[in-house]
Amino acid sequence: MKNKAYNPFEAAQKQFDHAADLLELDQPTRDLLRNPIREFHFIIPVRMDDGKTKIFRGFRVQHNDARGPAKGGVRFHPQETIDTVRALAMWMTWKTAVLDLPLGGGKGGVICDPHTLSLHEQEQICRGWVRQIFKNLGPNVDVPAPDVMTGSQQMLWMLDEYETLTGAKNPGFITGKPISLGGSLGRKESTGYGVMITVREALKEMNIEPKDTTASFQGFGNVAQYAVQLYQQMGGKVISVACWNQEDGESYTYRKLEGINYAELISITDRFGGIEKTKAKDLGYEILPEEGWIEQEVDILIPAALENQITQENVSKIKKSVKIIAEGANGPTTNDADEILNEKEIFIIPDFLANAGGVTCSYFEQVQNNMNYYWEKDEVLAKLDVKMTAAYIAVSDFARTHKIKTRDAAYIIAVDRVAQACHDRGWV
Amino acid sequence: MEKDKSLDKIFHELKERAKELNCLYEVQELLNKYDLDIDEICLGIIKAIPPGWQYPDVCKANIFIKGVKYQSEDFPETEWVQSSNIVVHDETIGSVNVYYTEDRPTADEGPFLKEERKLINTIADQFGLFILHRQLKSIFAEQKKSDDQQKSEWWVIIDLLKRTDPKLLIRISRRMVNFLFWRGIKEAEKLMEHFSPAYKRGSDITLEINKPYKKQISSDILVISNDIFKVAEQHLSKQEILDYIQKWIKEDRSSFLVNILEDSGSSLGEIGGAIERFHHLEPQGLELSTPREKSLSVALTRRLLTEQPHFVNIAKRIIEVKDFYHLIERIIFPLGSHGRLGGKSAGLFLAQQILKKGTNKNRLLNQIKIPNTWYITSDGIFNLMNYNDLQDIIEQKYKDVEQVRREYPYIIQVFKNSLFDPEIIKGLSLALDDFGEVPLIVRSSSLLEDQMGAAFAGKYKSLFLANQGTKETRLIELMDAIAEVYASTFGPDPVEYRAEHSLLDYHEEMGIMIQEVVGKKVGKYFLPAFAGVAFSKNEFRWSSRIQREDGLVRLVLGLGTRAVDRLSDDYPVLIAPGQPALRVNVTLEEIIRYSPRKIDVINLETRTFETIEIRSLLENFGDEYPQISKLISIVDHEHLKKARAIGTDFKKNEFVVTFDGLVTETQFVKKVIAILNELEKTYGNPIDIEFAHDGEDFYLLQCRSQSYSEDSQPAFIPANLPNEKIIFSAHRYITNGKISDISNIVYVDPQSYSELTNQRDMLAVGEAIGKLNKVLPRRKFILIGPGRWGSRGDIKLGVNVSYSEINNSAMLIEIARKQKDYVPDLSFGTHFFQDLVEARIRYLPLYPDDEGNVFNEEFLINSKNILPKILPEFKFLSGVIKVIDVPKTADGATLEILMNASSDEAVAIFSDYNETK
Repeated sequence: MKNKAYNPFEAAQKQFDHAADLLELDQPTRDLLRNPIREFHFIIPVRMDDGKTKIFRGFRVQHNDARGPAKGGVRFHPQETIDTVRALAMWMTWKTAVLDLPLGGGKGGVICDPHTLSLHEQEQICRGWVRQIFKNLGPNVDVPAPDVMTGSQQMLWMLDEYETLTGAKNPGFITGKPISLGGSLGRKESTGYGVMITVREALKEMNIEPKDTTASFQGFGNVAQYAVQLYQQMGGKVISVACWNQEDGESYTYRKLEGINYAELISITDRFGGIEKTKAKDLGYEILPEEGWIEQEVDILIPAALENQITQENVSKIKKSVKIIAEGANGPTTNDADEILNEKEIFIIPDFLANAGGVTCSYFEQVQNNMNYYWEKDEVLAKLDVKMTAAYIAVSDFARTHKIKTRDAAYIIAVDRVAQACHDRGWV
Repeated sequence: MEKDKSLDKIFHELKERAKELNCLYEVQELLNKYDLDIDEICLGIIKAIPPGWQYPDVCKANIFIKGVKYQSEDFPETEWVQSSNIVVHDETIGSVNVYYTEDRPTADEGPFLKEERKLINTIADQFGLFILHRQLKSIFAEQKKSDDQQKSEWWVIIDLLKRTDPKLLIRISRRMVNFLFWRGIKEAEKLMEHFSPAYKRGSDITLEINKPYKKQISSDILVISNDIFKVAEQHLSKQEILDYIQKWIKEDRSSFLVNILEDSGSSLGEIGGAIERFHHLEPQGLELSTPREKSLSVALTRRLLTEQPHFVNIAKRIIEVKDFYHLIERIIFPLGSHGRLGGKSAGLFLAQQILKKGTNKNRLLNQIKIPNTWYITSDGIFNLMNYNDLQDIIEQKYKDVEQVRREYPYIIQVFKNSLFDPEIIKGLSLALDDFGEVPLIVRSSSLLEDQMGAAFAGKYKSLFLANQGTKETRLIELMDAIAEVYASTFGPDPVEYRAEHSLLDYHEEMGIMIQEVVGKKVGKYFLPAFAGVAFSKNEFRWSSRIQREDGLVRLVLGLGTRAVDRLSDDYPVLIAPGQPALRVNVTLEEIIRYSPRKIDVINLETRTFETIEIRSLLENFGDEYPQISKLISIVDHEHLKKARAIGTDFKKNEFVVTFDGLVTETQFVKKVIAILNELEKTYGNPIDIEFAHDGEDFYLLQCRSQSYSEDSQPAFIPANLPNEKIIFSAHRYITNGKISDISNIVYVDPQSYSELTNQRDMLAVGEAIGKLNKVLPRRKFILIGPGRWGSRGDIKLGVNVSYSEINNSAMLIEIARKQKDYVPDLSFGTHFFQDLVEARIRYLPLYPDDEGNVFNEEFLINSKNILPKILPEFKFLSGVIKVIDVPKTADGATLEILMNASSDEAVAIFSDYNETK
């Protein structure tokens, strides 16, 4: 047994301290930003289907709202801890700030396991959660979103309760709604496209034409699929895609050196991003082992599946041809591998920035709700492009100017923007 | 003087009037005497008349009625006569006449006074009325008399019987004597002697034991039957006697059935004939007394269904004789058959009757159907073997299992090449005519199968037939399927299973069920809308809120094979009927990942059973699929929606099989609960059923007892167990029980197993487990392995073993280690699981990556591995299979596994954990 259990909030604070040191923030600013600005802990009594009442514990943490309404998910988790919620709320503050969205950071949740709850009981929890805290939520205060074990259905129940309590239609109260009830088009594409927009900008800076590049992807789920799609539209050539095979219980890399055919591959892919092995073989794809994707002679690597995929052990397999690694997944690179990649002078677009297309689209959902006017998908994606490009350039410029890692640059920009807002408001 | 004379006259006249009145009174008095007959009355009147007239000395009277003359004595009829007619109903029927024999002075009417005229008229009137009254009275009396005669109609019956059916009269008389005697009627005792020579008042039977009793000859008895009914008449009402006689005659008509059933030599054909006769007699008022009804239905149950006491006991409360008629119509049997239908058929028949009778109490049990089914009796298999001289095959079961396994493919061929008895072919042909061109399933229904406590679940084959084409083709295909099912009796698994349950020496007689497949045509396929299995007790709890009593349903689209069989590549939808809102899968991703993707169907074009993709079926024929909007949900931009009743575009919409509409909008769940409750209540123990639904009706396909061992007591799990004494702990899907004294652990390391690079080595792991199963001490070892034990499809998901390769273990443990982004699905299979329950092999899932669980991988991997020592040929698998001798490794301690379902906690500890405290 470890003497001291891992505390996510302390880890997040440590990360912040590092940025604060570089920014030489004053103590009051540090004290303000190290902790949530508001925390709500409350009880949600629920009349269960069997007539008995059960008491659930709910939270909402608003880490910082200096730049705008707090934004962040609501999690249903049986082993939720307040420190996890605090860490995630802080993370949201930085994420909205690096994209320069007029939003703060928040997170919330309920300690429960939906596997032991009926839909009706879940609905009561959602409504109870809103009733307890609706005075401190709202389109201009704090905007919840789906998270672990919550989805569009839960968002609708929460919205309905909020609108009932406030007596007005307010779809901007929450994001992650179905398209038919105030959701935004382009959400599915947003993260994958966002990744590729940053890659495009990076290539521009390197004076490389996308059509002269090749790429290898890990993962073929939602993020990777749209990233591949956009990359091909840009003229790039994807030569391999790695993904999990449920039947065999292992991953394979599917390679076609002359370039994969996106439409063809998507037709033999299940909804979880699994490619049918035999059909792929029939279509002329080579089946390589799991780590095949990382060893390809390509310009761009896009890990878009899981955490800790580029490690000290396999980092050496990365070919010299690789110029850019764009982190489509959260935390795909381990710290030690990150050091080695820097030494190799491979340009990394950090997850923080690369996969922020999702939260940007959530912001667009809210914007459309608030004006009660909805954009076509093209408009959403065009605006996404503008936001992502601007965010990328800011980070990239900062990193180049100050000769620091893009990862650090993104963090510093985010913390600086929030600190500045607090200062301008006269909080510190 | 004048005055005196007139006074005298008045006095005289008054005297006359008094005489007249006196006469009238006397006549009246006579007429009021009911006991006098007409003659006496007439004579009386004649006597009473003369004193009433003025000159009594010379006065005579007579009466004529209907030509008869009444007069007291002869006298000459003179001219001095006064007469009055007797009139009844306006008809003159006679007259009253008064004479003076001598002349007298003239008065008002000759010598007669006018008052005397009045008097004679009055007498005649009165007499007329009297006659009328008498006539009416006799009519009424006659009426009454005829009524009386009708009430003793029973005498007529007795008379009739005496002349037409003396034997029946003797039986009836005998029953009457018995009845009277039971009623404690003294006179009956005496009459008893006529029937029962053994019964003699005061005689000591034992003294005469060697002397044959003189048998009463029936003619005597005919005579005494009169005496018997005379006694009866004294003690019973006419109505009672009549009722008893009628009842006994009716019952006597069913005695042929009693005789047939009591005779153990009577064949199924004879029994069938008798039931048919009974059926045709029933509308003519053939009724059975409750005790007779019960005894007949028990006899039929035992002859046709099963001898099992528990079953018979339930059946006798439920099944009536008439219920057998439709059953026997559909039984195919060899000549002179003494076979039965077997467990599956018996279970289904009983369940059908239970539900039929439960309909009154619960409307939900209405309209539960049973598919059209024909049966071949259990001796059909011997008939086939005898007909083809295959008797040697019976010895198969005494051979070594390995040999049985090797020879099995040949046995199948032998059976398939056998010829059927023409009698059976005739029956099958009839059955095919009855079914028509509808798909069929041929199922086994062995006498040993499905009995309480011995589920041969899935050991024998069931085969689907498209049953399309010419009669000849269909017949050939049907016989082929039956032969194959027969052959499966001699397969290695059933033989092994029977050996283990000491059932080897019993004849494994195999009944066959030929059942219409429930379903509808969808495109070129035939399938039920959905089907599944349901258990009245839930042994697969996925939430602590689900109780065992909440039951379990495994639901699939199409044929139920996918719900019954273990699936390695797909998932049925699980529902706990008591808690239908608590679903196994919650998030959209889970719901989609664990939803059924494939469907079993009968392809009517290729005439084969096929497994196809649900997606492609619905894309092509979605609009034809019955009730589809209740079975699927639509995924719209990551939002799960109800499917609309019309207008779902199966090509464009993403859909997922959830059964949401079925569960939330229909009576389906309530119906399942009602069925399970009614059957469980009547059976007196947990049961499971198979069912199918064609979109319109719920069909019951099978019902049997779900059996449990008595080891389901919750184990006490001490608090603060020392961690170093724990091998593993678990907190999900825990059942109750305690397993002690485990000396060996067989551990298949999930990591190393998944790293095996070729199929051959993976299969070898299964073989090695099978060998270990033979050499390790029975019920003293536990098996721990990755994923799904007994995985039949993709063996990467789990070690490929059949039940006979694990049947000696005490516990089967499945490990779900998180692999990349998913946790492998553990075996929620039923067939295997039921085998484990039957054999009292416990099942436990382990989730070592769950927080709070202990999993001592170090001990399992690094303890001394005795595999190379005990099975040198499998030494090359030492890295994958670890066999640990627990006492040798743990200072003499053995392993104990404590399980407590209510706290959802299980722990495996060394038996010496107490000592370290």
